[in-house]
Amino acid sequence: MRMTLQEVFKGALAEIASGFRRYPVWVALARESIGDQHRRTTLGPLWLVLNYFLFAGAFVVVFGHRNEIENFPAYVATGLYVWLLMSETINMAVPLFRREANYIKGTTLPLFVYVMRLAMQTVIRGAYSGAGWIVLMLFLVQPSLEQWLMAFAGLAVIVLALPAVITIFALLGAFFPDFEFITGNLVRVGMFLTPIFWIHGNDGGLRQMLYEYNPFTHFLAIVRQPIISGELPVMELVLCLGISAFAWVLAFFLLGALRKKVVFVV
Amino acid sequence: MTVSIKAQSVGLRYRILRPLTLRPKDKRLLKTGGTISGSGRRQHVQALEDVSFELSAGDRLGLVGANGAGKTTLLKMLYGIMEPTSGSLSISGRVDALFNINLGFRPEATGRRNIELRGLINGWTRQQIEEAMPEIIEFSELGDFIDMPFKSYSQGMAARLAFSVATTLTPEILLMDEWIGAGDAAFQKKAGERMNALTGQAGIVVLASHNDKLIRRVCNKVLVLEKGRVKKFAPLEKKRA
Repeated sequence: MRMTLQEVFKGALAEIASGFRRYPVWVALARESIGDQHRRTTLGPLWLVLNYFLFAGAFVVVFGHRNEIENFPAYVATGLYVWLLMSETINMAVPLFRREANYIKGTTLPLFVYVMRLAMQTVIRGAYSGAGWIVLMLFLVQPSLEQWLMAFAGLAVIVLALPAVITIFALLGAFFPDFEFITGNLVRVGMFLTPIFWIHGNDGGLRQMLYEYNPFTHFLAIVRQPIISGELPVMELVLCLGISAFAWVLAFFLLGALRKKVVFVV
Repeated sequence: MTVSIKAQSVGLRYRILRPLTLRPKDKRLLKTGGTISGSGRRQHVQALEDVSFELSAGDRLGLVGANGAGKTTLLKMLYGIMEPTSGSLSISGRVDALFNINLGFRPEATGRRNIELRGLINGWTRQQIEEAMPEIIEFSELGDFIDMPFKSYSQGMAARLAFSVATTLTPEILLMDEWIGAGDAAFQKKAGERMNALTGQAGIVVLASHNDKLIRRVCNKVLVLEKGRVKKFAPLEKKRA
């Protein structure tokens, strides 16, 4: 049975509205998941802060030698923070619906509840590692209030895009199981192709193309540039808002068209 | 509003969505019931076909049939997990379901926390959860275990907790798949009494089971499914537990 565009639109709208209405469910489940991950550990979620410190420290030590990027430790630490936030979200989004198969086949919870649960989980995890990032920035840069506000505006754009990105990747992962391994590899490679610890020298070539045509570059820039140079990267901000809007439109229609089929493939 | 279920020529047909994968094709049929038609990537399952029945307040329907006959699919359709692709299905009343004992329970969380989570999933308010909590704990007979992790519970304890949560807020329509036949005799008796009380409060119970004795004890109507079609829908002689 083919769906009309109107049915797709109505279905997606109902799904998203119902998902938002069930916020007590996804907030509780997200908190529970974070708790489960660290339940037996002594440091609990503080491991997220420690992991970030270790990662950032290793990058600064390994790639910082004779590096000419201005304030390299802050450049790397901010880039890494944003990259980890986005890459972990993608990695966890792909198997999302298959991981929740029991719930999907046994309850009437809207799929968007699982999406929001992962988005919430990402925000909580991001808040812990974000505390580490803030401490590092206070130590390395001492940003002004204005710089903080601009950087947090950039983070807000990323957070607003999270549910759309999760929806797209979770649906692709449900219908295309190999996608998990494809994205896993791309994310690993993407860490080196994204300017987390490098910068291009306006010399053209592949390096500059990777810098400019990689969407992650711009998401890194909207948080990093305010901290490093104190400037609001308007072009990058507009570009990221455009990418986010496109992601929402795509997620909206994919959700409307595929939501009833997910129960048969997971 | 009167509690009722009305199914008219309900059918469910879906395409077998073989996941897009780079692996070589798996020639085995999917583990599914119903009738499979078509070939290659154009295969469809007719899980239910022309299913018609009506239930009203006080009815306890036993769903009977061989594995793959469509019992669970029909239950899931009544619950709203799947939508019919033909015919019409109209349901009046708040529906709750017990398909899988462990569903919605988190192994690391305590029984108490799991009651909260299960309540939220069922759409209860915080106040409803708080009010129902003492009764759920008492009915489940878990005692001090209620503050122990769910993973430390035996199958019987998990079943008691699941049943207590599903029936404490008195759903108007309760759907159950098989497992109620498990557990000890004392629990079955207690569960049977609660189901009687539930239907006494003008509710509907739909129970899918292979246990003929259980169906005869609990239900007043029976619907026999065969390959997704209704073979028989008739009243049963009532035998109270």
